[in-house]
Amino acid sequence: MISYSDTLKISSKFDELKKRGEGAYMAHVYYGDPNEEFSIRLIRTLAENGADLIEFGIPFSDPTADGPAFQAACERSLRGGMTPKRCIEGLERLRREGLKAPVVVTTYYNIPYSMGLERFMAEIKEAGAQAVIVPDLSFEEADELVRAGGKQGLDVIFQIAPTTEGARLNRIIDAASGFLYVINVEGVTGTKKELQRSTLELIRGVRSRTGIPLMAGFGVSKKEHVVDLVSSGADGVVTGSAIAEIYSRKLDGPEDALPEIARFAREIKAGCVEGFARRSLNR
Amino acid sequence: MKKGRFGIFGGQYVSELLMPVLIELEEAFDRICPTEDFQRRFRGLLRDYGGRPTPLYYAQNLSGLVGFRVYLKREDLLCGGSHKLNNSLGQALLASRMNKKRIITETAAGQHGVSAAMAGNIVGLETEIFMGVKDMERQESNVKRMRLLGGRVTPVTTGYGLLKDAVSDTLREWTTSSRTTHYLMGSAVGPHPFPMIVATFQSVIGEEIKAQVLEKDGGLPDAIVACGSGGSNAVGAFRPFIEEKDVRLYFIEGGGESLDADNCAAAFALGRPGVLHGAVMQILQDEHGQIKPSRTRASGLNYPGRGPEISHLCQTGRVKAGYAFDRDVFEAVRVMCRTEGLIPALETAHAIAYVLKNKEDFDRDDVVVINYSGRGDKDLDLIFRHSEDKQ
Repeated sequence: MISYSDTLKISSKFDELKKRGEGAYMAHVYYGDPNEEFSIRLIRTLAENGADLIEFGIPFSDPTADGPAFQAACERSLRGGMTPKRCIEGLERLRREGLKAPVVVTTYYNIPYSMGLERFMAEIKEAGAQAVIVPDLSFEEADELVRAGGKQGLDVIFQIAPTTEGARLNRIIDAASGFLYVINVEGVTGTKKELQRSTLELIRGVRSRTGIPLMAGFGVSKKEHVVDLVSSGADGVVTGSAIAEIYSRKLDGPEDALPEIARFAREIKAGCVEGFARRSLNR
Repeated sequence: MKKGRFGIFGGQYVSELLMPVLIELEEAFDRICPTEDFQRRFRGLLRDYGGRPTPLYYAQNLSGLVGFRVYLKREDLLCGGSHKLNNSLGQALLASRMNKKRIITETAAGQHGVSAAMAGNIVGLETEIFMGVKDMERQESNVKRMRLLGGRVTPVTTGYGLLKDAVSDTLREWTTSSRTTHYLMGSAVGPHPFPMIVATFQSVIGEEIKAQVLEKDGGLPDAIVACGSGGSNAVGAFRPFIEEKDVRLYFIEGGGESLDADNCAAAFALGRPGVLHGAVMQILQDEHGQIKPSRTRASGLNYPGRGPEISHLCQTGRVKAGYAFDRDVFEAVRVMCRTEGLIPALETAHAIAYVLKNKEDFDRDDVVVINYSGRGDKDLDLIFRHSEDKQ
């Protein structure tokens, strides 16, 4: 078994980035879309071009928090015969081949529920994950997964949304570990042209209540979104559908999309750096 | 004990975006539903608009055929042609008292969509109905009814274009609009508090059965048989009898063509507990936890999950789960037409088919109530196509 040092810990990553004066970029992919070899190359490309964390998606048949781009990604991956077990083997391979970024596994609750929570958490830990996000697991139902994660030293990442208010927001903030995932919009994953003003207000509001790292996701697809989010107090951003949209235009040879994806990742990361610099100026 | 649990089943497995509205809904239901004002309006509409109480009909000819006394609880006579209006009226009233501006829902056979459009009009809320494209083909007459009633029917092309996908798309739509919009959940499924709300509004069926059998037959029935997938008509009929241990309860799901995992909707025969659409339910799924599409000719039973309450009642043995194959269902339609002159919905015909095929489950002096959940006008094309295929 490979042992992973503290440098892979999520908190260490945020500390390191803060010292360097950068926001964090987390890139979300669904593994196996459209095939495993491409996913491996895609994740490597993202990590080499600015992604500080990888959100490693295990596809699910009914991804109710995802918009059209990721629904299609899940469908393609599953049609290709992808299974949770093969995803976990893929993660193991990425680690073996030198992936250094912290990995947050994301999937819908029936996948760990079906495998058994303890076994699922043990297997992704063994493969090299640092945390897990389950978008259909409410804070109210999360105790069992948090317990199983605790045994393995895995963070269960909680999400907060524009609709999360008052006492609940405080309870979730108090229970958060790793980072808080801020859902930017009322809706599902997917790219948006504009960032809403209310999104930045949400980030500022949560920022004023907690020092835990905040990662802003949903609807992020442009550098200017990233600059605004990070300068408003987010510690980083998540992009997902935007990446899938680039290669899904070239499904016959998705590798051809890698240069464009590399450029995209560099730009998002540049936004993370610029946003952080502006944040310091604002103070 | 967590909220909204029925044994291991139930719970609230949803995006954080939806938790606040679920909390708001539960609070509103607990506060508004018991008030005299709400109850007067709800009961009044069920009576004067819906036509409740629906009759309990002694099916003499069918009884003669099977050899025991069979009563039909005539939910087909509820306005709209099925039991669905009970729940739709209740939730639409609740939505309007919560000051929601719009109703969204999903439908498979179209019966729930029709009742939601009716109820939306009563309370003055616009209604959007998500429906799988395959179901829109199969249940074309109900699509027309919904549109005539002013409902906006939105075709669902994701996944397999069936009910499971329509529920997913309605949940997605709700995450974008929960502040102003009520999701009028059509069956006893979904995250808490939906299974509890739907069962509460549907339990009028069982309350009436209890009083009517007592009056007509002088006692409680020996058995109640209901079809279902999510289980709203079954839970509604069973609820007042769950503590009456001498009353046997039968829940009949879609057997499809055969008990082969890819041709069937029998989640109790082939599924296991899992999490879908907000709750732990009995679910058809593969070994990895990916949800399987169900298959049956009856759109209204074509859902891979069983609501938390019926899942629990079947798991603990209080309710016996059975199934009926498509071919026996079409035969049950024929028998029903010829014996009693009634055309049942294909869904309802599952309960009848089970009784016809499993006479040994019942004694000669048994009193059996079939929850006759809906009428079959919507299925005429399917029924005729089937009889032509056979020739």
